[in-house]
Amino acid sequence: MSIVKLTAEDGYIVEFEDHDGSPPKQGGIKDVYFTTDKKYAVAFYRKKLDSVAEERLERIVNRYRKNIFEQVGGNYWKEIFCWPERVVKEGTKTGILVPFYDKKFFFGPSNGGDDFLEGSEKEGKWFTSAKNFNLFVPVNQKGDLQGYLSVCQQLSRGVKKLHMSGLAHSDLSYKNCLVDPVTGSACIIDIDGLVVPGLFPPDVIGTKDFIAPEVVATAHLKDDQRKLPCQDTDLHALSVLIYEYLFHRHPLEGDKVHDQDPEIQLLLEMGEKALFIENPFDTSNRKTVKSDDGDFLPWIDTNKLPYVITGPYLKELFDKAFIKGLHNPYERPTADDWDVAISRTKDLLLPCSNKKCSMKWFIYDRKSAPVCPYCGTTYNESLPILDFYSTKSGDKYVLENRQLIVYNNLNLYLWHVYKNIFPNETLEDKFKKPVGHFSFQKNKWYFVNQTLGSMRDITDTNNPIMIPINGKVEISYGKTLKFADENTSRIAYIRLTNTPHS
Amino acid sequence: MRKLPVYLLIDVSGSMYGEPIESVKNGIKTLHTALRKEPQAMEMAFLSVITFESNVRQLIPLTEISKFRPPDLEASGGTSLGGALTELVRCAKNEVATSTPDRKGDYKPMVFIMTDGEPTDDVDAALPAFQAYKWGIVVACAAGHDANVGVLQKIAGPNVLMLDVADSNSISAFFKFVTTSIATTSKKVDAGGQEGGMNDLPPPPPEISLFKS
Repeated sequence: MSIVKLTAEDGYIVEFEDHDGSPPKQGGIKDVYFTTDKKYAVAFYRKKLDSVAEERLERIVNRYRKNIFEQVGGNYWKEIFCWPERVVKEGTKTGILVPFYDKKFFFGPSNGGDDFLEGSEKEGKWFTSAKNFNLFVPVNQKGDLQGYLSVCQQLSRGVKKLHMSGLAHSDLSYKNCLVDPVTGSACIIDIDGLVVPGLFPPDVIGTKDFIAPEVVATAHLKDDQRKLPCQDTDLHALSVLIYEYLFHRHPLEGDKVHDQDPEIQLLLEMGEKALFIENPFDTSNRKTVKSDDGDFLPWIDTNKLPYVITGPYLKELFDKAFIKGLHNPYERPTADDWDVAISRTKDLLLPCSNKKCSMKWFIYDRKSAPVCPYCGTTYNESLPILDFYSTKSGDKYVLENRQLIVYNNLNLYLWHVYKNIFPNETLEDKFKKPVGHFSFQKNKWYFVNQTLGSMRDITDTNNPIMIPINGKVEISYGKTLKFADENTSRIAYIRLTNTPHS
Repeated sequence: MRKLPVYLLIDVSGSMYGEPIESVKNGIKTLHTALRKEPQAMEMAFLSVITFESNVRQLIPLTEISKFRPPDLEASGGTSLGGALTELVRCAKNEVATSTPDRKGDYKPMVFIMTDGEPTDDVDAALPAFQAYKWGIVVACAAGHDANVGVLQKIAGPNVLMLDVADSNSISAFFKFVTTSIATTSKKVDAGGQEGGMNDLPPPPPEISLFKS
């Protein structure tokens, strides 16, 4: 075993062990070594690259990378993308230097279970497959619903950023995305295959479960008739990933038999004949639970866990993705649509009363006695709902399509207060601190104001009452609060439901 | 849910006694350990071991990776390769669900055969039923120079691998190849690729040379 020393174009010195020519890890097209300082993976392409591929790599490590990372807030993307930083050469072989994934993207000890996965990468497939998720992911690393929503949001932001930069990933799949549902993190890897429309065409058509139907359906045609991976097909893959992380099942893999030959069946069910398993207008691809499906339950049971349990904002996007936009790429939700919808959905989360519930949270179903769909436990606490209003002109406040469902110790943030603040990657950390919180004391609900300097109770508009910092206001039915003086501030109207006597 | 069936047909005749059989046992263990780290294989691959000497036995019926326990093997007796093929067809018909107009079936089974000698029964008689079944990939491994390559070609077509000697290095290399094949195919079945010829398999490891007819 000896140490190989290479110098990248910018003079950076890369050192790694040669492992006597047998690389510690082999990917589909690359051999992977690890630098002696353990900061980077060095991945060499087994085949000699042509000049177009070389040019693409050069742009990925330089121009495209700088456009994303060397801007204000660039650090945010370091966790979401595992982006190649340098190109290195060893003889005729080309390699890329890619930062090592964060520790949280590797399985840790299972705390008493079987540790056969310890040290393996948290590849998405461990989590998207109901069987793998049920049986093999250690309990302490499964995460909860809040974590999965965050995973999906991180992915959406990653895809949004690529698309805003004029790029397409072209092979988004559970293989190319590592996740940690416990911390709600996701990391997009294998970025060296990026597609730049009109400049660098895609290398591969993608990974089956994620290839858009129009690409599958035209894959056998002549070059000029084939639909190739692009931003629209990324959006299909993103929708599939989000559905899979939230439900641990595939949105198109139902019971409908299109052909008795397994391969043709696959091509049809993911391509020309693709049909959402939960399509309300065409139920022919519903999944029925079979006697040998025990390891996949309850996730594959769409009666028990239908897609509407993730709330109205995500339902609307799933409808767009898998009904309207399945065969019509222009109808697909954008990555930003997903980001916004997930943020709003997080405001509908309720903690499950069952301490042993696997998902720990569920999304409020707008019923008077909410029931956690994952464990069947009824939520017995009283439930304040804040409906938000905002204004364009300054006097007329209009009801927005967003709510905040309140539970004890829930925090309120600036993005609830102001309609022009969004809880996304552009928001500076100093604006991410709670501005107040909700508290249930002696059978009464209160809002405790922590930092809002001009908050008023305007239930009686003629007689607004100032709520000072560190002061509190009781939350009761019909109470109306204005969080701040500015026109961009929202008004919240409060309803209470699920009260013992209601 | 659809499964990916994998059948290992292992020669446990007398000539496999000693290093070869121990290497096969280790090979199956390594295969099992490696597949446990592949999420696609863990979800859908099912393994079966059929052994053949003078008698043929399905030692392990089709079992999912997480419940599979590597078997203990002992070598003695003749080489009933024909009988093994017949048993393979019987097991597959029994264990693998084929598609019907209203129910999706399993994926086509992968078959890996390893033998080190001349068959002692009538392989030709078993061939028609074997060939009538729709297999995915069929790979035969001739371990050492005493194996009858011609017979294996009748079974596996061009997919015959040759080991110069049936020692622990080459046998473990063969099982590494089997591991990669199963992992690749489970990903590919997952990836919508076609099952079929040798081109779908990973390149054979350096210790094994592809037999050229």
